[in-house]
This record gives sequence, structure tokens and C-alpha cells, in this order.
Amino acid sequence: MYRKYLFGYGSQLTMVLFVTLVFGVFSSYAQAASKVVVIGNILPLSGPSASVGVEGKNMREFVIKKFNAAGGLKCDGALNGSKIKMIYLDTKSDPTVGVSDVQQLINQDHADLLTGAWNSGVTYPATQIAEMNKIPFVVPVSVMDRITERGFKYTFRVAAKDSWWTKDQFKFIDYLAHKSGKKIKTVGFVYINNDFGKSFDDVWVKLAKQYGYKVVLNQAYGEAATDLTPIVLKMKSVKPQVVLLVSDAADAILLQNTMASYDVHPWALISSGGGQADPSFIKNTGKNAQYLFDESEWASDMNRPGLQELNKSFKKIYGSDVNGETMDAYIGIHTILATLQKTCSTNPDKFRQAILNTEFKGGPFSVMAYPSVKFNGKGQNVNAGLIMVQVRKVGNKYERVTVYPEEDARAGFKIVFPQPNHY
Amino acid sequence: MGSAILNGILMGSIYGLTAIGLTLIFGVLKVINFAQGAFLMLGLFSTYWFVELTGANPYLALIFVVPFTYFTGYYTQKFLIKPVFESEKDVREPIGVIIVTTGIWYMLDNLALMLFGAEYRTINVPSLSEAISFFGLYAPLSKIIGFFISITIAGALFWFLKYSKMGKAIRATSQDREAASLMGINQYKIYNVTFGIGIAICGIAGTVLLPFYYVYPTAGMHLDILDFVIVVLGGLGSIPGALVGGLIIGLIESVGSQFISYSWTIEIIYLLFLVILFVKPEGLFGVKGEF
Repeated sequence: MYRKYLFGYGSQLTMVLFVTLVFGVFSSYAQAASKVVVIGNILPLSGPSASVGVEGKNMREFVIKKFNAAGGLKCDGALNGSKIKMIYLDTKSDPTVGVSDVQQLINQDHADLLTGAWNSGVTYPATQIAEMNKIPFVVPVSVMDRITERGFKYTFRVAAKDSWWTKDQFKFIDYLAHKSGKKIKTVGFVYINNDFGKSFDDVWVKLAKQYGYKVVLNQAYGEAATDLTPIVLKMKSVKPQVVLLVSDAADAILLQNTMASYDVHPWALISSGGGQADPSFIKNTGKNAQYLFDESEWASDMNRPGLQELNKSFKKIYGSDVNGETMDAYIGIHTILATLQKTCSTNPDKFRQAILNTEFKGGPFSVMAYPSVKFNGKGQNVNAGLIMVQVRKVGNKYERVTVYPEEDARAGFKIVFPQPNHY
Repeated sequence: MGSAILNGILMGSIYGLTAIGLTLIFGVLKVINFAQGAFLMLGLFSTYWFVELTGANPYLALIFVVPFTYFTGYYTQKFLIKPVFESEKDVREPIGVIIVTTGIWYMLDNLALMLFGAEYRTINVPSLSEAISFFGLYAPLSKIIGFFISITIAGALFWFLKYSKMGKAIRATSQDREAASLMGINQYKIYNVTFGIGIAICGIAGTVLLPFYYVYPTAGMHLDILDFVIVVLGGLGSIPGALVGGLIIGLIESVGSQFISYSWTIEIIYLLFLVILFVKPEGLFGVKGEF
């Protein structure tokens, strides 16, 4: 019996080896016939930021499947007719995992290009490994300023950076004052006491001085805050006209509902795309969040050619609407594809030259919030712009409605400032 | 300013309520229940689903929440904690039990995550959340009701322990469990009841919090940390201590942040916590073995 089994396994093993060998030979022939461009993706596919990571992956798949089905790269050179192969590795939002992912993609999978990683904390070290290996890394989302400020040659960021968010918030306050003819003298800052909140607050204080606003409220609260009434009561007594916020989801809900409960409403409340952008925010605040402004990179109600069609075909496959996160992934991957069409090569220096010398606009880029993608010498997209949405009643629901810049505002909606029930 | 003091008192009493269960269980079982926050979350979720499914007033949920959490506590002690207790019966402060409660904490949090998802939920009862004004002070009705419920529960529990037969048995067990056993008190029965009462108070705290708070699988954790501070401040095992500890923290948080940044008030609370540990480790009302 034993012998029989042994032989049985032996013959199966031989078979498997043979099949592997044959396939191996064939597939290497196939590879030689048309080269494959390998794009390594590192994304948070599990852990705390998994939902945005998975959404980003879906959009990349959506774009690449269509691109490969249409015949792959069409260009004048070695890569003509090449297909794109996507490899996805999970970072779990952990910088150490992200770094080893990038090493694996470079050394084992021989990735020609890299993209990801959503979390700034992961992108920062991951791009360093890519730079050392001279592999171009296109960053669609991560906003931390320093990512493009290390003089790297092969890091390219599509998203707007941290300091632009705060700068645009103050520009917007200025715009509100001009537009309404009201004088704004006082501002207040309320933020969650973590990296995200603290980095915004530091810049706010400087900008307020520059713009000549008096800061009458500057309050931080811990991530474990259970009652935000003290801050709301303080706000009620010092009455800042405009209040800027950085929040995570739970505290954004708590703060908004507490403010409504004490009927404390400044002229304008401007948040920074954190917790207020989370879908659960409007669900749990509803009317209490009416007239809140939230800064954003993109909104689904922007009137852009081809957007409805894109949304429809994406939703049909993946069951969800295109949102800010998937839009970032969409623009990032199209930037890579458009650059490859130009270079028709995977040479990193040619890639750098082409990406820096191109203004990406029209076609797939026409669904963006801003007119075009253009990189400066540091690899930062200088055209990346921000918009403002305001929570408004649409029918019997509350929605995020684009109100600024004016040319992008949803038809029939004008900014409400100061909000009608302000103190 | 008046409203800030009022808010401090109201929130403080509610913080105190969330800590009573912890202090009671420690006082009797000599076990720090690390699952306290998770049971609070259970109270929040059971109130949430009661309101969501019946559309009734959230305080009516107490009819369901109190027995539900009482029996959850009772049987948790009976089936999960007691076996470990028995194997460690010669130790005064059983460590194994603490590890079991930590396990229960993780289990409940993750169970909630699996069943209800990582989504923030609130109930919206405008009549409760709108601040009402009296003598120029403002406070939402939900917190005022919460204050009265907290005081009533603390008073009732105090009375129960002082005068009822079961209460006396609980106190006897807390003072000396072996002597109590010799007097014919079933030690483990007392533990079951105490754990049940402690968890039921968590459930009540959940009902009190929900109208102005939110529920989330790890929502109890924030209050958990606060509860430990309160209990140490007031004295481990002391019920009036929990209430007074809660009030002190509520007042520091609410009044302090009218003058300094809110996050600094939290620093002050932790500083006070350390000072109490150094100067008066038994806490303000902590007399060992006495309620």
C-alpha cells in the first residue's frame, strides 16, 4: 500500500512539474512577444483605512481593464501594444509594511512604476525606497507637505498639499466677506489634538495674523473627548464670527449636535475634509449640520463632461458612486498611462522628463475639479485646487452641495453666509 | 459661566453613574472589571436598537435594558468568571479574573463590530437635545434627566446595600468573604448578583448617555479610562466616592476650559489623579471594605 501511494504521488508530481515547465516556456515566449508594463500599487486594503483603499483599487482595476481591452499602449516605440499588469499589496496603513511592500515590488515583481499609498505616513518612507531604486512613484492622494520637499527626482504628487488647504480656507473667508459685504474681524479654531489637527492649527494662527483677524477661540480636544459642551459654551461666550474645524468622524458628530443643542451658530463653520466628509456625518447630524462648509478636492455634483457616464459604468460594476477618493485614483492612474503613451518606454528618466513636460488635460482629465494636471520641478502638481461644499437641504435630504468656486457651483445654489440663525 | 458650572455638575453626575458599576464590582469581588466600557457599549447599543425598532422614548428602553444587562452580567459572572475565581480562590486579588474581563472586553467590542459594523449611530430626539433655559442657564433636557437618574440610582443602591438583606450580605462578602461563607452566605451567588447589578448600572448609564452621545463598537473605551480616574479619585469601592469623583472631573473639564484649552483640562485631571495616588492612595472616600 505504502509503495503504491508513494508511486502515485510520484507520478502526480512529475505531471505537475511537466505542466509547469511547459507553461513556463510558453508564457515566457508570450512575454517576449508583447512586453508587459508592471505597475506596483501599495494601498491600505485592510485595517483602519481599508474602505478607501479598496475603493481606490476598484477604480484602478476599472481603468486598467478597459485600457488593456482596448489594446494597451498605443505609441511610437518599444512598448507599442504592451498591456499593463497591476500588482496590489496591502500596507495595512502601516509604514513598515508599506516599505517592505515596495521592496518586494521592486526586487521580486520588477515593477516599472509605483503608485499609492493613500496614508501620508506610508507614502513618505515608501517614496524614499522608490527614489533609491530610481523607480517613478506617482502619489495620487497623500497630502503631507514634506513628501515633495526632499528634492526627489522620481516622486510625483497629483493631490494638493497640506499647506494649500489652510491657505485656501483663508482665501475663502476673504471671499465670503467680499461677497456678502460683511466685515469679518474674529475667527476661532477648534481641532482634534493629533498630527492632522495640530498641523492645521499651526498654520491657521500664522495666517490669521497675516489676514488681520483676531483669534478669540483656539481650542484643542483629545481624541477620547466624551463631552464637547465646554468648547461650545466657550464659543457661545466669545462668539467668533468664523470657526475653522479639524475633526475625525465621532467628534465631528458630537460637536455639531452639541452646537445645535445649545443653539450656538457662528456666521460660518468651515471644516477641513476630515470627519465631516465621512458619510456617517450627515446621516447622524442632518439638519444640525446645515450651512456647514467643508473643504474638498472634488464633489460628485460638479458639472463635468463625461462624469455621469463614468459614474454609471463604474457603479454598474462596483456598486458604489464615484467619490473624492476614487476620483484621486482615477486621475493618478490616467496620469501614469498618459505619460507612458508619451515615452513609450519604462526608462525612469524619460518618464520624469515626459511627466514634467506635459500638461494633462482633456479626455479623462476633464472630470477633475481643476482644469489640468501640471507638475513642477519638485514633482508637485501645481494646478491641484480645492473647492467648498456646503451642507444644504435638497428635497427632504441634506447633501453636500458644491458652492465655490462660483463656476463650479451646483445650479440653483448660492452660498448662504452668514447662516440665518447665527449669534 | 453659570451654564459651564451647570454642565459640569450634570455631566459629572453622569460620569459618576458610569463609574458606579466599576466601583461596586471592585468593592465586592476585588476585581477590576476591564470590560466595563464594553458593557457600557452594550447598554448604548441595546438602547439604540430599542429606540430604532420601537420608535419609543429612549427612557422607556430602561424596561428592557435593565433586565437584559442585569442577566448578561449575572451569567457572565456565573459561567465565565466564576470558574477562574474558583481556581484562584486562595488569592485576595485574583489576576486571572482580570485577564478574563479583558477577554470579555475584546470579545464584546469585536462582536459589536461584526454585528453592527464600524458605523457611528445616534438617536435624534429634538425635544431632549434642545437646551432649555432657566435663571439664565442653559442645559439640554437629556442631561438634566440624566442627572436625576444618576442621583436616584446612587441613592437607591446606597440604601439597598445599607438596609436590605441582600445588601447586607453583599457588604459582608466584600468585607470578608470567608467569614461571610461561614455565616451561610453563598459567596458565588453574591458575586453573580453584584456583577449583575454593576452591569445593569452600566446599561442604565448607556440609556442616559445615548440621547446626547453616539454609539460605536468602541464607544465605551473613552469612558472606561475616565471611569478608572473617577474611581481612584473617589476611592475604590465607594459609591458616594464615584459620584463625587465624577463631579470633580465634570467640573474641571467644563469650568476649566472656559479659561484654558480643553485639552489642558484633561492634563489637570490626570495630574490630580497622580497627586491623589501619591498623597491619598485610598481616594477621597476610600475606607477599605466599607461602602
